[in-house]
Amino acid sequence: MSETVPVKVVLNGAFRPWTEGGETFEIHAGTLKGVLRELDRLYPGLGEVLEEDTAVAIDGVIHEIVYTQKLNPGSEIYFIPKIESG
Amino acid sequence: MAKHHVTTTINGETVEFLCDTKQSLLDVLRNQLYMTGTKEGCATGDCGACTVNMDGTIVCSCLVLGVEAEGKSIQTIEGMAKGSELHPLQQKFLEHAALQCGICTPGVLVAAKALLERNPDPTEEEVRYWLAGNLCRCTGYNKIVEAVLDAARVMRGASNA
Amino acid sequence: MLKKTEEPVKDLKVVGTRPIRPDGVPKVTGHAQYGADYYLPGMLWGKILRSPHAHARIRSIDTSKAQALPGVKAVMVGSDLPEQKFDYLGPDRVQVNFWHMTRNIMAREKALYVGHAVAAVAATTPEIAAEAIKLIEVDYEVLPHVIDVDEAMAEDAPLLFEDMITRGVNPSPTKPSNIARRAEFKIGDVEAGFAQADEIVEMSFKTSPVHQGYIEPHACLARFGADGQCEIWSSSQGHFMVRGYTAKILGIPVNNLVVHPAEIGGGFGGKTVVYVEPIAATLSRKSGLPVKIVMTREEVFLATGPTAGSSMTVRMGVKRDGKIVAADGVFKFQAGAFPGSPVMNGCMCAFSVYDLENARAVGYDVVSNRPKSAAYRAPGSPIVAFAVESVVDELARRIGMDPLELRLRNAVKVGSPTIWGPKHGHGGFRETIEALMNHPEYKKPLGPNQGRGVASGFWFNGAGESAVTIHVGEDGSVSIASGSMDVGGSRASMAIMAAETLGIPYEKVRSTVANTASIGYNHVTGGSRVTYATGMAVVQACERIIEDLRTRAAMMWDVNVDDVIWEDGCAKPANPSVGDFKPLTLAEIAAKRAVTGGPIAAEVAINAGGQAPGFSTQFCDVEVDPETGAVKILRFVAAQDVGRAIHPSYVEGQIQGGVTQGIGWALNETYVYNSKGEMENAGFLDYRMPVASDLPMIEAVIVEVPNPNHPYGVKGAGEVNIVPVTAAVANAIRSATGVRLTSLPMSPPVVLQALESESASV
Repeated sequence: MSETVPVKVVLNGAFRPWTEGGETFEIHAGTLKGVLRELDRLYPGLGEVLEEDTAVAIDGVIHEIVYTQKLNPGSEIYFIPKIESG
Repeated sequence: MAKHHVTTTINGETVEFLCDTKQSLLDVLRNQLYMTGTKEGCATGDCGACTVNMDGTIVCSCLVLGVEAEGKSIQTIEGMAKGSELHPLQQKFLEHAALQCGICTPGVLVAAKALLERNPDPTEEEVRYWLAGNLCRCTGYNKIVEAVLDAARVMRGASNA
Repeated sequence: MLKKTEEPVKDLKVVGTRPIRPDGVPKVTGHAQYGADYYLPGMLWGKILRSPHAHARIRSIDTSKAQALPGVKAVMVGSDLPEQKFDYLGPDRVQVNFWHMTRNIMAREKALYVGHAVAAVAATTPEIAAEAIKLIEVDYEVLPHVIDVDEAMAEDAPLLFEDMITRGVNPSPTKPSNIARRAEFKIGDVEAGFAQADEIVEMSFKTSPVHQGYIEPHACLARFGADGQCEIWSSSQGHFMVRGYTAKILGIPVNNLVVHPAEIGGGFGGKTVVYVEPIAATLSRKSGLPVKIVMTREEVFLATGPTAGSSMTVRMGVKRDGKIVAADGVFKFQAGAFPGSPVMNGCMCAFSVYDLENARAVGYDVVSNRPKSAAYRAPGSPIVAFAVESVVDELARRIGMDPLELRLRNAVKVGSPTIWGPKHGHGGFRETIEALMNHPEYKKPLGPNQGRGVASGFWFNGAGESAVTIHVGEDGSVSIASGSMDVGGSRASMAIMAAETLGIPYEKVRSTVANTASIGYNHVTGGSRVTYATGMAVVQACERIIEDLRTRAAMMWDVNVDDVIWEDGCAKPANPSVGDFKPLTLAEIAAKRAVTGGPIAAEVAINAGGQAPGFSTQFCDVEVDPETGAVKILRFVAAQDVGRAIHPSYVEGQIQGGVTQGIGWALNETYVYNSKGEMENAGFLDYRMPVASDLPMIEAVIVEVPNPNHPYGVKGAGEVNIVPVTAAVANAIRSATGVRLTSLPMSPPVVLQALESESASV
């Protein structure tokens, strides 16, 4: 929990109402929870939206939002809308 | 409106039931006799899920009235296995993975059994056209046709033994 | 906790074999119980009254005559369900708004499509129930209706919701419309990209909505007790979804409701929502008796969600050397009476197999007076693929390149960009192309009026929440239970993975599906997620059991647990120096379970991620009859990367089934509406799905590029196979006749008219 790594976080246009155009962030975090906390600090309310409404792609591989998801240094993190299944 | 008293034979057993004039045989089988192996997919005779064998001919039981069963001999899916011994068609369906959800399977099996009784050595085309009245949405029919052809082969071999 | 396997697991003994599934015998003997096969003493029959109008305000409903009919025990209308807050919850694409959902279950202010439920009764016989609904008097104010997506978007279109303002547009529009939402995805600069192109193709397309076509109509049995506890037996793609949605719609706590999973007779996405359960439960509450509701086939067509119809325009540019330089698409999807078409999925999937620097996809979710759309096998992706893969086919023609070669040159791989942001994390696409390039039938010459078409497709595949329990019986036999509904043989796959992990024969493992009270939450069976996510949970649970068994063996031998290994289904000393101990089987350890700590059981509940997408490439040969326009499928070969085929027969079955649905979508399936907005072909005779005599053998080519995030390398297999089919068929027709069809279905009258106008214009 104490060890953090630098990661690149990208939010696409769907999140514009919160981020006012800012899209790419350099964040230091050890887990996904850390990333959410940091984004929520920058844009209050955004953390809740990301938790409820998105999945996340870490270096291209899709994961559900799970707090304890570990991150690697230099990972690229994209928040994407969740996928409907059929 | 008084009900009709019907006496018939189902899977070799004498069965009596009461039904309304308008009730279909499918409805009687399922909702009165609790023989739910025969399924309702459309109630208009288009999907074959309700196929039963009546006096040697396959029919859509949703298009047969309950009263028409009087004096007839009816075979349903429940009568296909002999005790714990599966019919070769049932066995081959399992081996070939010829079912996924399984809802069309009783109708297909009853229809396929009727085919093999009159044509023990059908071609692939003959199997496909015979089963054209049985809709399946899961399998694309591939493994169903393979299973029927394999069961036919086994049944021919057994009868030659 | 998750072991990454870069190399394929060697020497698999059970994975990849084709054993018989555990639910097989009940299904071939007619004993398996589906949603309509349950009965309880005193059971009533429910029947639903449906709107005859496509669009109408409901001024009043008088149920008194129905109530008075002898045999009627309960009557309900929309206001018998609690009101829901108007709030879009959850991810954009599948935004659930319970205010909409409760109104789809039963109308309140307006009837929004022919078939919309407006009231329901429960009576002692189905005949009395049918009689009773005819006695319900509804005062409708009929309104003009609109169905077609382009017409629904027009300036003067009748509005379904007078206050609907399009979301996703900045600044917000001031006037209401039927456009619920606009979505846009883009990378790079499409115009700069097109400037580099040697050839540009732009085409517009229209597709008809199609129904999932499951043979089993929706059905359930509900028993609501005087203590507020309810039990429901229903067939669905997710009994936890049934519990959750039904509890919310009824306004009761989730654990007051126990849902028992009946066998399901097909879903394909259409049974990931509820229709009859809240109604049956409410009627049961009011009457104090169990209530059964079974939809007729007509009701299934009138009132359950098909996938969206669409109107699309796609423009793509390519250089002479085969590099695709730009792609631009506008996709308008028909959501039906309430918002929620899969248009965002469509935007994200449309160009996802191509390595593109410049791409844009814009989507519109549009409401219109027909049933609310529901998921259908890779929702959204097959629709956009019809447009995109047709355009790519024309691009290949323009530059004189083989269509497989063109796809190979632009194929995505690990690290390729996506239009929705991240880089691709998994490969597998090029292997599906290569499988077909090397296929002996691909180069086979064709005869007159025959043609060959190629297409590819992409689907995300899912993961998510799964819970599994495993226990070892007193005699060493193993039982596993999950909460994942089995639509296509997953019970067998779970048993295979468990047997492989534990090192025991398949026959020693029993696999079942538990009800909502007996196991942790499981997400729906859909999105090609179960073999992946529930399989992962099964393997993890087995690994825990193995840990436990090693610990018990160590106790029995008085050694350290590190000195015990598990191999071939037995506990063994790690090396001879540990001691001269004979291997202990599951049965032997189970016999000593009480003294070694008690029952041998494990539960694993996970929120799985790390899934890999599905890629499929297909080719199809057709023969077109120039006199009738009828299209005959001569050959269909579908290659798909499935990571690893746990049970190859069921993987083949998924591919063959998806292709067949796609063929129906391509050639015949459609909704025919009259001027009053009534569906004229609401039955299987005229809603024409493929039958056995329509098809040849469909060849499924299984490609395996394992997913390192799953213990056995699994990638979801169920959905992507439907994605390329309509375009493969359209491209084959183009090849056979020279005519490019841009609307679905390509039924004989449509093909014939195209052939005749083509020859007329020559």
